[in-house]
Amino acid sequence: MKKYGRLLLAAVLMVVVLAGTGWAKAEGITIALGSEPTTLDPQIREDGGERAVNDNIYDTVLTRTPEGDMMPSLAAQMPKLVDADTWEVTLRSGITFHNGEPLNADAVVYSIKRVIDPEFNSEQISFFSTITDARATGDLTLHVITDGPDPILPTRLYWLKVVPPKHSKDPKFAENPVGTGPYRFVAWQRGQHIDLVRNEDYWGPAPQISSVRYRFIEEPGTRLAGLMAGEFDLITNLLPEFTSHVPKSVNVLGLEHPIIILNADDGVTKDARVRKALNYAVDKQALAQGLFEGFAQVAQGQLLSPSFFGYNDQVKAYSYDPDKAKKLIEEAGVKGQTIELIGTSGRWLKDRDLVEAVADFWKKAGLDVKVRIFEFNEYLNRLFDRKTRADGIFVVSSNELLDADKSFSAYYKAGGIGSSNTDETLAGLIDAARSETDEKKRENLYHQAVQLAYDQAYFVWLLNIEDIYGLSARLEWPGRVDARLLVREMQVR
Amino acid sequence: MSQTNADSLEQALEQHRHEWVEKLFELGRELKRDKAGLVGVMLITALVLMAVFAPYIAPHDPTDQDLTARLAPPVWYEKGTLKHILGTDHLGRDVLSRTIHGARVSLWVGAAVVLLAGGFGVVMGLMAGYLGGRTDAFVMRWVDTQVAFPGLLLALIILAVIGPSLTTVVVVLALNGWMVYGRMTRSAVLSIRQSPYVEAAEVVGCRWPRVIFRHILPNLTSPLLTLGILEFARIVLAEAALSFLGLGIQPPATSWGLDVAMGKNYMFMAWWLVTIPGCAIAVTVLAINLVASWLRLISDPQEREKQFARHMAGAMRKKMHATIKKELEAP
Repeated sequence: MKKYGRLLLAAVLMVVVLAGTGWAKAEGITIALGSEPTTLDPQIREDGGERAVNDNIYDTVLTRTPEGDMMPSLAAQMPKLVDADTWEVTLRSGITFHNGEPLNADAVVYSIKRVIDPEFNSEQISFFSTITDARATGDLTLHVITDGPDPILPTRLYWLKVVPPKHSKDPKFAENPVGTGPYRFVAWQRGQHIDLVRNEDYWGPAPQISSVRYRFIEEPGTRLAGLMAGEFDLITNLLPEFTSHVPKSVNVLGLEHPIIILNADDGVTKDARVRKALNYAVDKQALAQGLFEGFAQVAQGQLLSPSFFGYNDQVKAYSYDPDKAKKLIEEAGVKGQTIELIGTSGRWLKDRDLVEAVADFWKKAGLDVKVRIFEFNEYLNRLFDRKTRADGIFVVSSNELLDADKSFSAYYKAGGIGSSNTDETLAGLIDAARSETDEKKRENLYHQAVQLAYDQAYFVWLLNIEDIYGLSARLEWPGRVDARLLVREMQVR
Repeated sequence: MSQTNADSLEQALEQHRHEWVEKLFELGRELKRDKAGLVGVMLITALVLMAVFAPYIAPHDPTDQDLTARLAPPVWYEKGTLKHILGTDHLGRDVLSRTIHGARVSLWVGAAVVLLAGGFGVVMGLMAGYLGGRTDAFVMRWVDTQVAFPGLLLALIILAVIGPSLTTVVVVLALNGWMVYGRMTRSAVLSIRQSPYVEAAEVVGCRWPRVIFRHILPNLTSPLLTLGILEFARIVLAEAALSFLGLGIQPPATSWGLDVAMGKNYMFMAWWLVTIPGCAIAVTVLAINLVASWLRLISDPQEREKQFARHMAGAMRKKMHATIKKELEAP
């Protein structure tokens, strides 16, 4: 009897072990994110963790290829301009939400109205700021109305996740998301994990991976250890130093541009010579090659990547010229004066390291640099403080729309949420470009704006950072320029 | 008349100085007897001197970065250079120089917080324990409330008011740390206040401040010393946590704890970023522990008695051995 008991125990143990390791892992993967989503409502927050999960549960009206070209997703074709401020969108037929609600023009109209509703107070409003209304014109066609001509409306629709009209009114919607995407939501253990499972009725090509578990690990070192131990299949924000340690790594020139916003209206940085000196003083090449081990490119004197609309290839980065920097600072008569540089720690890849490195370059140019590293919320208060602008504010701008408008409205244009200049000409150029429908003219306006900001050195442009992902040996994924973690594009071998 | 007065005053001073010097010598002799204590005192003196003279000892400016020579290993590795004996950190700064300079903030914060929090907590605990009644209820409820209040939130509030700096760190950590002293002191006082010598002092007519500071406090020295040491190590690390979040000291200043926190991400490939400042913390805590255990021994009358007895027994044993030896050698 005792013997049988032991045999039984052994059998049970074996089953448990097999179930725990072999079977469950077969086609499921685990992704480690840096932060847990604050909500799973896809329209309310501007939150990287939320996006990483919901990009797989929801579909957008338009999408991009991994290389960044726009293509229809829920729409059957690219939107058509019917008159100056009206776009017509036609949807694919036969798509349903995970709960059975049909995806039709009404659902899209509802989603647009929901996100632009001032009462709803979405943090994503800046993506949709020009949209004033939407109305269904047929079961699968609708009109989107903008205030004046909006040439980048298709880009905005690339951001629009479509929510189910009935279910989204449920108060539990933020914890139980329902979309049309390739994966369905299963469970969310707060602080632990989120589980998704493949949507077998997906309208597009069926994904290979059957289930996804998201884990939330703040520390890059811990994420790395988990990947090495085989616990995770994909980790985000891998430190460049570790690319040779992990089984596989993928790097894509990303959307993130660390810059320093200089106060052009007040303080030592009021003088354009000082602002130029601060640019000349920083060895951007050393930052890219040293601090980022080559996984970053020097930003070419603008807050845009070469793939963005509006990129001016005539403008090149300020060279590294410490002597010129010193000379300019002496000319301006600010040698030895204090300059305040504000940054934060742990939010972006090597944020604190970058701030400390820049501070040392500035110090060598002859300024007394006062670095203030703030906790993230306090840092945001300083960044968005419209009344008193610090001399220099470090920020990493991320432009998901791949179009100059978003970055420029926020940081270049006078009165933008993070801008520190009151240049009317620059603001005029940006405003004009926003409603210019002729693509060539619009591009030309941005080229002028880039040149103007460069000549005035309103910023210290640092780098364009590559996104680095660590992958387990069995996972195949080429990466995407828009940094979306689309599980349907991944494969397990 | 005045002459003699001055004489006696001088004499008195002289005598007093004598006593004072005598006491110091006595302390020195006791220290010599306790080897571990001696090592501790020497280590602490060395650390304090290192902190004070940091700019003269450190081979490099601790903020001087060199992005082309980042994460260089210590000298005994193939790639190490004599220029950076203990290697460089993630911005190419000299680890040895940073560790030497880091001593300033770490030691200062540790000492200041332990003194501030300890001082306040002990006074509160003494009063609560001795006076009892409403004072006790008030102080203990205050402690309970504050223990329940999240420390980080308090830190954030203070930060918003006075901004991050070394002072902020000291204030925040002291405000968050005094409760443990208060609680411990109170419980110790509760048992001591029943003892005969406290009752005797009361009967004689001592007022309560005299009783608690003169009669009770000296008898709490050993447990309080132990607690203070334990707290010191915790504070050094707590300062690092605050600084890492941006609530503490600001670059280019540094501290051991902050360097450990920053180096953590590179641990897999550059162990020296974490290990060297980490060792500095460990050595400091060890040294303080050694000194504290020695201080505890000499401040506790019972321990002193035991020590004295051991000492005497040792001497007697020696004498006895000598006698036996002499007797055996004798023909």
